[in-house]
Amino acid sequence: MCAAVKYNIRGPALIPRMKTKHRIYYIALFSVVLLGLIATGMFQFWPHSIESSNDWSVEKRSVRDVPVVRLPADSPLPERGDLSCRMHTCFDVYRCGFNPKNKIKVYIYSLKKYVDDGGVPVSSAISREYNELLTAISDSDYYTDDIARACLFVPSIDLLNQNTLRIKEAAQALAQLSRWDRGTNHLLFNMLPGGPPDYNTALDVPRDRALLAGGGFSTWTYRQGYDVSIPVYSPLSAEVDLPEKGPGPRRYFVLSSQMALHPEYREELEALQAKHGESVLVLDKCTNLSEGVLSIRKRCHKHQVFDYPQVLQEATFCVVVRGARLGQAVLSDVLRAGCVPVVIADSYILPFSEVLDWKRASVVVPEEKMSDVYSILQSIPQRQIEEMQRQARWFWEAYFQSIKAIALATLQIINDRIYPYAAISYEEWNDPPTVKWGSVSNPLFLPLIPPQSQGFTAIVLTYDRVESLFRVITEVSKVPSLSKLLVVWNNQNKHPPEESLWPKIRVPLKVVRTAENKLSNRFFPYDEIETEAVLAIDDDIIMLTSDELQFGYEVWREFPDRLVGYPGRLHLWDHEMSKWKYESEWTNEVSMVLTGAAFYHKYFNYLYTYKMPGDIKNWVDAHMNCEDIAMNFLVANVTGKAVIKVTPRKKFKCPECTAIDGLSLDQTHMVERSECINKFASVFGTMPLKVVEHRADPVLYKDDFPEKLKSFPNIGSL
Amino acid sequence: MQSWRRKALWLALLTSWLLGLLGVFPLLRLAVPTRPRAESPKGWPRWLDAELLQSFSQPVELPEDAPQSPLAPHNGSCNWGACFDASKCRGGGFKVFTYPAADPISETQRRILASIEGSRYHTFSPAEACLLLLSLDASAGECSPGPPQWNGGKNHLVLRLHSASCSQTFQLGQAMVAEASPTVDTFRPGFDVALPLLPEAHPLRGGAPGQLRQHSPQPRVALVALAEERGGWRMAGTNSSACLWDGRCEQDHGRKQTHPGATLPNATFCLIPGRRPDASRFLQTLQAGCIPVLLSPRWELPFSEVIDWTKAAIVADERLPLQVLLAALQEMPPTRVLALRQQTQFLWDTYFSSVEKIVHTTLEIIQDRILGVSAHPSLLWNSPPGALVALPSFSTSPSDFPFYHLQQGSRPAGRFSALIWVGAPGQPPLKLIQAVAGSQHCAQILVLWSSEKPPPPRWPETAVPVIVMEGPRKVSDRFFPYSAINTDAILSLDAHSSLSTSEVDFAFVVWQSFPERMVGFLTWSHFWDEARNGWGYTAKRSNEFSMILTSAAFYHRYYHTLFTHSLPKALRTLADEAPTCVDVLMNFLVAAVTKLPPIKVPYGKRRQETRTPLAPRGLGPAPADQDCINQMTTGFGQMPLVSSRLRLDPVLFKDPVSVLRKKYRSLEKP
Repeated sequence: MCAAVKYNIRGPALIPRMKTKHRIYYIALFSVVLLGLIATGMFQFWPHSIESSNDWSVEKRSVRDVPVVRLPADSPLPERGDLSCRMHTCFDVYRCGFNPKNKIKVYIYSLKKYVDDGGVPVSSAISREYNELLTAISDSDYYTDDIARACLFVPSIDLLNQNTLRIKEAAQALAQLSRWDRGTNHLLFNMLPGGPPDYNTALDVPRDRALLAGGGFSTWTYRQGYDVSIPVYSPLSAEVDLPEKGPGPRRYFVLSSQMALHPEYREELEALQAKHGESVLVLDKCTNLSEGVLSIRKRCHKHQVFDYPQVLQEATFCVVVRGARLGQAVLSDVLRAGCVPVVIADSYILPFSEVLDWKRASVVVPEEKMSDVYSILQSIPQRQIEEMQRQARWFWEAYFQSIKAIALATLQIINDRIYPYAAISYEEWNDPPTVKWGSVSNPLFLPLIPPQSQGFTAIVLTYDRVESLFRVITEVSKVPSLSKLLVVWNNQNKHPPEESLWPKIRVPLKVVRTAENKLSNRFFPYDEIETEAVLAIDDDIIMLTSDELQFGYEVWREFPDRLVGYPGRLHLWDHEMSKWKYESEWTNEVSMVLTGAAFYHKYFNYLYTYKMPGDIKNWVDAHMNCEDIAMNFLVANVTGKAVIKVTPRKKFKCPECTAIDGLSLDQTHMVERSECINKFASVFGTMPLKVVEHRADPVLYKDDFPEKLKSFPNIGSL
Repeated sequence: MQSWRRKALWLALLTSWLLGLLGVFPLLRLAVPTRPRAESPKGWPRWLDAELLQSFSQPVELPEDAPQSPLAPHNGSCNWGACFDASKCRGGGFKVFTYPAADPISETQRRILASIEGSRYHTFSPAEACLLLLSLDASAGECSPGPPQWNGGKNHLVLRLHSASCSQTFQLGQAMVAEASPTVDTFRPGFDVALPLLPEAHPLRGGAPGQLRQHSPQPRVALVALAEERGGWRMAGTNSSACLWDGRCEQDHGRKQTHPGATLPNATFCLIPGRRPDASRFLQTLQAGCIPVLLSPRWELPFSEVIDWTKAAIVADERLPLQVLLAALQEMPPTRVLALRQQTQFLWDTYFSSVEKIVHTTLEIIQDRILGVSAHPSLLWNSPPGALVALPSFSTSPSDFPFYHLQQGSRPAGRFSALIWVGAPGQPPLKLIQAVAGSQHCAQILVLWSSEKPPPPRWPETAVPVIVMEGPRKVSDRFFPYSAINTDAILSLDAHSSLSTSEVDFAFVVWQSFPERMVGFLTWSHFWDEARNGWGYTAKRSNEFSMILTSAAFYHRYYHTLFTHSLPKALRTLADEAPTCVDVLMNFLVAAVTKLPPIKVPYGKRRQETRTPLAPRGLGPAPADQDCINQMTTGFGQMPLVSSRLRLDPVLFKDPVSVLRKKYRSLEKP
């Protein structure tokens, strides 16, 4: 563009000086250029106008049209795989140091065609699956095209099936990769290792220190914590449409669908069938299929023909016996059908076993126990079977379904090893979405009663009611376990009173001035809070007795993961309006406590300020209401537990105050509060509040017992 | 003319440049296809003929590989399937035989043997044992020759607590090795067992509780502590990453300690370098609630087969720059720090705090391998109360237990079974049956008739079935997991107990909120008796309590299984001999599992005076029974009871509001 502008500027000075013959010359030149442009345009848009519209940034070529690399017969060969390799010995973590967001960066070598001295290709062309795999990596967050910044290298040499390549030459091809360096940080994918007659359980291609993501590892070849065990992809996953079938009892209890079984194993299975009759079905290859029928999609028992893989959905358990190789593609089909795999393959390392809990989705039976399979399976309770069926299907959906799923799971496993502090948890790997949705992991799960000596920090939110504030401070300071008092001064227009005017109390008193008059300031995790227990208290709560507050703190110590408050409130489902309703009547149930005075763990301040879902926090600040309901929702949602209402206290207002408030004000208040509940329930996507029928009183409350012997004699009234 | 031509020329020139601009770039792209484009990443190409590519496996060759005979174990290395004969374990369950130790015997070894001999797994006959345990003690100096039942090491577990110099004296053969902090290079996953490196003075039973007193880290506590070679810990704040290593900081508290290893670090994260002696620091940090950060991935972490260490520790690569690690630790979200800290305490208290726990965990791991499908699910190992008290023989579904409803998103079932114990006097508890059967939550009433007198032929007509189970029984038999109990909740009653329907209803509704605790009406409290230098307990009414009498209490049926199958026989025998002891034992059991106090609900005033028959003389247990609590404490290795100062009442309990508002109004009748 720059150049063009420059010429145009120079143009006017140039042209007047031109002679006529030059003009003709120019016109001729332009016509040539024009013709060339038209030709280019034709060439551009004509032959492949179909693809050109979708993706401009990626080049368009054929896999046959790639550079050819000739490997001399004496080109270097990597050493055999080093069995002692571990991440801390053979993997170079320094290459992963630069990467932001705890994510490894993966580089893919460009595709080449390797031929030997005689020009014979080293392997057949790249397979569909390996192409998909590299595409998936390239489309993922892991990918980088900058070889200098990469931490993991993936060769484009297709090693998925050992039978399609020449071992020595493939190894030579690996060795000449530009960053090979003894295979350090190189990741090779292989699904079908070994070859006749002895079928090694890991890829035979010498690969030095390279990591191997292999299907069919055995305990002898698998380098725990270094290699990754992956599934053998079943092409049927993409070819056949198999709608999900829910768990539950099915027609056959045990089914075997593999075509090539070792005769010994087939005998064992057929013996089972003879013994247990209808509930066991052993299928075999079909011998008398008519022309044109895909034999791979049919299975037979005697003269009965079954569709495969549909027949798998008819069985509760499906046997997966090892063939010559340990890894079997049938495992993928079985999982997909929601059939619980019965894996009979001694020493087989199940796919992704580093992170997946196969006990939840499969039954592993030692080969020598094959005859006991039926009784082993029968001992599993139906509930557990259904759980396993669900889990099997989930494993397929998440980690077996496509080449992409397999590739990304492999990279995630390696990523988790390199950045262990950012690793994905067991639950994230293993829990199906339904369980994740329904389950609650309480952030304060350890059963722990904090020591009384720690005390609590009272936080008073105030605007300008200084007189009332000072009374609250004086009252609260009488509570024995108070360890600090924090006043949150929410008025930006007025300075807090001078230090000398504040009441003198026995504990430290701190005043925090806020930048904005927001309700959420009361739930901010101030650095000044040094205790775990926080008492949020309004600047007009003067009716709570010292015993009542101290008892509240004692109750919080027994329930440190809950909101412990005084007046309780309830949410109700309004059937007429089909929505939630706020209830402040004196009912037999509670689901919320008011935070005008409530004890809770300071961690919830952090959650309220930084982890409140959706726009709730802003909504509360904008409406200047319902911050307490929001806190009740938040705590109930993360802990799955109900609030604890303490003592008979029903309201904070004194009797004469209600008269001033008036009925109409009260009604708008109720409407607003109901709106809050409906709003929050929709943001949380569920109603987390739990309803209970109990409140906490001192052990001897209202018991016929000398008052002076009670620990908390002065528990206030309503 | 001239100007027209000039204009035309101009126009042509401009258009040609424009077209050139449009055309040259694609042309360039065509001409030089492999040159990378600077602005957008190239990625893996979308091949034109991707659709035509062949699959990596042709259907014909895939499953039909040649048949093959089973693999032979590779040169001496073993795995579970090849080297363990589980068929020996099927008859009498999981039994363990220990070889008598050769003299001299180290203290740790003595404790290990003692804890196995005291456990439910132990057998004296090597023939009926499924696992034979051989303890190799290098520190004792001598190595024993191969023992008599060696059999090539099959079904043997060789315990190697110290880095063994002695394993060479005889071939380990097919034996499993339980070793302290093995290196990942020699460790055989799924076959060997990784143990923690034990300090010499590790207690046999009970053990010191975790040090964590609060869930979240205290403000201003050091972010990291680094294990020093001399056994201390060097603290460092958040911004002094450099001083950790070059020793310039002055704030090292560790050095002041004269006893190496005696001090526990007070920091959020504890960095443990890769030197082997530092492995012993691992347990220290767990106990201290300091999140261990292992700077070497070379050790197999203890019990890694079942414990998910990612929930409690961080294994970092020592080769990465320390700054990277410290930055990651500093930026770790509070939620994760909170979870890691709590998990360290849970793991310490559950699996590591005593020799007995470590030994039992080892045996449970091996038993889980034998059980296969019916082993502990991972959740049971990795969340409170832990696998040692969550028996898979009860169920493998977590939601059947009282502990995992939150994680499972489930609730305990909405009915209960009343279990009425009729002792020697043999009075049929007719009124009680009527009151209990009146509860809408009652599913059935089971009468355990253990009186000499025959039960009456007819029982009152009730809405729920009444099942009478006859036969003289020991007191502890009231906590047997009878198969007739088909609800999650049990209401345990004595024939003398007197309850109203309202009381039963309310207590059950409360229990549904706390299914892992005991919810009851009458309470005892324990106290430290300075005069007798031991524990005592009393039935006197006071401001706190720690035990609920089982003569009227709701609890989960799982506790029957736990009581019968996990408690040492000696404790149950003790409970049979002293009548009040069985209540103490049940409360000890529940408190040891939950680490929480029981829950008291209101009980009508009229009967406050009639004490439970288990404590006949009104105020508290007879002096002879006081010993019970101390013997229990010895048996448990610690005092598990926790006191509570609250009672759960109905929301409107005794409030001056209209009785008509109240759901449990009869609770308040005098």
